[in-house]
Amino acid sequence: MRRLLHTIWGGLASRALPPLVIGGFLLLYIGIAFGTDETLIALMEITRTTVILVALLALLPLNHLIRLLRESASHIELRRALHGAAAGVNPELFDETVPLSPTASFAGLEERLAAEGYQTRSTGSGLAAWRGIGTFAGRICWRAATFCLFAGILISLSSRASSRGSVIEGEPLPAAAGGGKVERVVLADSQGAILSKALAMEVTPPEAGAARRVFGLYPPALYRGAFIYPRYLGIGLFVRFDAPDLPGGYQKHCILNIHPPGKEDSADITGSPYRLIFSLAQPEDGSDPYKTGRMTFLFKVHKGKDVLFAGSAPAGGEFVHDGYRISLPDARRLVITDFIRDYGVLLIWAAALLFIAAGCLWLPARVFFPRREMLFLREADTVKAFSRAEGGRSRHAGVFHDALDLIEGRHSGNP
Amino acid sequence: MATIETSGLTRSYGDICALKPLDLQVPEGEWLSVMGHSGSGKSTLMNLVGGLDRPSAGSLRVGGKDLLGLSEDGLARFRREFVGIIFQQHHLVPYLSAVENVMMAQYFHSVPDEAEARTALERVGLGHRLRNRPGELSGGEQQRVCIARAIINSPKLLLGDEPTGNLDHKSTVMVLELLKELRAEERFTIIMVTHNQEVAVWGDRTIYLDDGVLVREERTRP
Amino acid sequence: MVALKLIPQILSWAVIALVLLRGFPRYRTTVSAAACSGFALGAAGMLALFRFLPGELCFGLARDVVGGTFLLAWGVSVAAVYRSTGREKAMSWGERIAQTPPFAAALALASGFIAGAVCACRIPGSEGNLLACLILVLAGVALVFAALALERVLPASFTVSLPGLLVLVAALLLLGSSSIIRLDLFAPLTMKVMKFTHDFVHQFFESMLIPDHLFIRPYLWGYIGLLFGKEVGFWGGLVIWFVPALLIVLAIRLERLPQVSHIRQGAARRRVTAAAIRARGFRLVVPVLAVAVLSGAVYRSRYPSVEYWDPKPMPILASPSGEIFIPKKGEVNLEDGQLHKYLFKQGGKEARFFVLMTPEGKLTVDLDACAICKPDGYGQAEGTVICYYCKTLIPLETVGKPGGCNPVPVPFTEKDDGVHLDGLTLINTWSGTIQSTARPKEGGK
Repeated sequence: MRRLLHTIWGGLASRALPPLVIGGFLLLYIGIAFGTDETLIALMEITRTTVILVALLALLPLNHLIRLLRESASHIELRRALHGAAAGVNPELFDETVPLSPTASFAGLEERLAAEGYQTRSTGSGLAAWRGIGTFAGRICWRAATFCLFAGILISLSSRASSRGSVIEGEPLPAAAGGGKVERVVLADSQGAILSKALAMEVTPPEAGAARRVFGLYPPALYRGAFIYPRYLGIGLFVRFDAPDLPGGYQKHCILNIHPPGKEDSADITGSPYRLIFSLAQPEDGSDPYKTGRMTFLFKVHKGKDVLFAGSAPAGGEFVHDGYRISLPDARRLVITDFIRDYGVLLIWAAALLFIAAGCLWLPARVFFPRREMLFLREADTVKAFSRAEGGRSRHAGVFHDALDLIEGRHSGNP
Repeated sequence: MATIETSGLTRSYGDICALKPLDLQVPEGEWLSVMGHSGSGKSTLMNLVGGLDRPSAGSLRVGGKDLLGLSEDGLARFRREFVGIIFQQHHLVPYLSAVENVMMAQYFHSVPDEAEARTALERVGLGHRLRNRPGELSGGEQQRVCIARAIINSPKLLLGDEPTGNLDHKSTVMVLELLKELRAEERFTIIMVTHNQEVAVWGDRTIYLDDGVLVREERTRP
Repeated sequence: MVALKLIPQILSWAVIALVLLRGFPRYRTTVSAAACSGFALGAAGMLALFRFLPGELCFGLARDVVGGTFLLAWGVSVAAVYRSTGREKAMSWGERIAQTPPFAAALALASGFIAGAVCACRIPGSEGNLLACLILVLAGVALVFAALALERVLPASFTVSLPGLLVLVAALLLLGSSSIIRLDLFAPLTMKVMKFTHDFVHQFFESMLIPDHLFIRPYLWGYIGLLFGKEVGFWGGLVIWFVPALLIVLAIRLERLPQVSHIRQGAARRRVTAAAIRARGFRLVVPVLAVAVLSGAVYRSRYPSVEYWDPKPMPILASPSGEIFIPKKGEVNLEDGQLHKYLFKQGGKEARFFVLMTPEGKLTVDLDACAICKPDGYGQAEGTVICYYCKTLIPLETVGKPGGCNPVPVPFTEKDDGVHLDGLTLINTWSGTIQSTARPKEGGK
């Protein structure tokens, strides 16, 4: 039983686990590609709905977490060994372990290593030498980042809930968002390097006295457990339509995805063969009607497959033609928005930041100041030398070998 | 076991016989001085023993290897691993520092190792001149760099072709003392060509060549 | 002529045999015998398959097997890098098995089998060409013996690591298959990579809640737009194509040198280290060669030696009633199995289409464009039509069926005298297809 647990633990903590799992998913992707063109979507769906695959995916963050803990423990053990605080030294912490003759002497070694640029410390039973900055911090950031990334993907894949609704000026927020009233929607130009526009959706939460919230573009706001993810700009248009063969007329609040000007969207007149196709007119001064609020709507009236007529009317205006009347009493800005409940996103963002931090910590240390360590230890009747280098290996090896030559060349008791 | 064994060793250049049939044995660890006037065949003998040249006739065994049976690659390998040479003209690379000159010898042997090169220069008393170029060193210091370069690959045979020819007396003594110490530590065989009696007596034995013939042999040390 | 066409495949086989022999120098006889047997079985097996199964299935099977070796090369290269960068010094059980005669024989047998099958695919009329197949097998066996003789002449210091050997064998098989357009893997790989990249970028934007292109600066969206272009498939495909060989180079380069700290003489230490570096350098030859071979395979895929039949579209007019008529026999013979292209113009619009007799003996009329790609048109070669935009091969048997990169079928009527189709329907179908392929992709749903 103990052996089995040990084997399982070894597998979970193995370096080979991530490529094996990722390779498995890759093979699955290739297999799915034979059957459908929407391969990635299909893979995500299959993974989401298959317990075994979710469990397999879960092994990735688990593996990185275990390795993070193990690496931290190894680092602490190494630090203790170099400080002489450890009872015994685990050879696996070092790249090389060399047994020396019991009469080997450390006399002059400290000065020699100091001349080579190493800092030294005499421990009770030996000598530790090191130079450079360790990459431990960078490696831990990397491990944490990979843990967050895979955990984030796992959570996102298995628990993401998304609903789409319209955020309309003056109207309540969709129920999926958790309530509140949209006070206004403002679109403006942005001076940023990435975003050309700034969008602000001002919302008053339902609780009395609650402060007004403003939802922007990026990073998306978190409101009552859901991310507010603006997708498209549109117009909420109240349309009244009268036709000769439509007694009583027809009126409807239409959600029209018609931004930018020129983009068309249609509204069906339910129970009739009529369909209205709307678009925003581009003002002559080149301004954006969504920003200015001065909107003129172009429309085409279809009956069946035929286009009856086309026309235009400003917001609040109307158009009459041949017994047909189209009134547009009310037009409001709206934002077609996704409300996403997905805490995996936070982890993935954290992973991105941690990856950047890992790079900033690891690269300069590894390239310019690689960590190199040596430990010479006299224990009872044995003398051992340990060496470890994160970079600059051949140079460090030269110094290490030179130190060993010195130790072996001078023996205790010889003049 | 003798490091060097020759039997009827001959070297001719066309009609000119630079070295007439020579029988010579040099035991391991001996310092042999070779004396003679110019053209007596001293350098020819050294070149043959060092694998720098091929004999015209006779046999030549160095360190148990029959040099005549070696290919060009084999001879090159022999020279790299068995022989160290110190010349009268130092032949140091002028734009490399002392430690880099020693590392060059390591490079052609196997791989460079700066720490080992540094130790070698410290051994010859130049630990404080590692980064100096040959032009910044005295004659004696340059020759000591050459010694470090010659012994860095732990040769079994060290050849010196008038190594002290360009040095003053003080430097000469310093260099010879150093060779004596190193021989005691590393136990290599030295063959030194010189026409200076004062230098020759540092060896264990001196042979005299005249017109390519061994004419006399003296034991300097028992 | 056939022999000339077989040169890439035959040369690949010769080098495979050579590398296998050098990779297992202690089992030369076993490897030679297994290689010869495998080659013969592969060639004969493929011949038998062509006899009993449709050609497209046989080619698909061969392509899948070669693709499998490429995947295996990927796995081996990743494992090699992990092994090199780890601290484990003891041989794994896999490495122990890989040094046994049964493994050497199995590898030689499998390599020979696949190489023989690929070579057999190159022989025209494979299902009936027994003599050509026999000559092929004899040539394959002769090459093994030639490789055996050549291997003995190679310097002993030139050693081959097992991962390097596997990657080179895979690369050589890919080179051989890239010369046969129906076995080519690089072109379909680029398409799949392009599709994956599109999907991934799209999903990434959705998952990370990144605003749509409407809100992003045009210059930046221009760069992001590159990921939605065709070139991303080519460059991404190149990365995937070369990574296994490059990983092997990296794995060899990162191999730890032998420990020499126990040696107290500096020159002796350096000698051991130098010998290890030299041996490591020799082991790099094979994966570097694999990189060169893979480059050749890419070149062959991009610039195949086959010439496409791509006739200039003939102008054609409709009758006053708007019907287009193309006689079966006349200036051209519609039933000759070749593409016949036409250009129809009406009311300021035009449409390109072609008529083709499929291998089943049915005529089909299709647009010279598909529903996915830009309308660069089609060419015909070796039992397929190829989309010039995405280089996808469409078997002739499937032309006339809609979907994927297949040319868009056009409704028509076949009568005894010829083919009849409606001009307006043709124009509308063409316009609708072009509009949908020209529309830029939007983010989000």
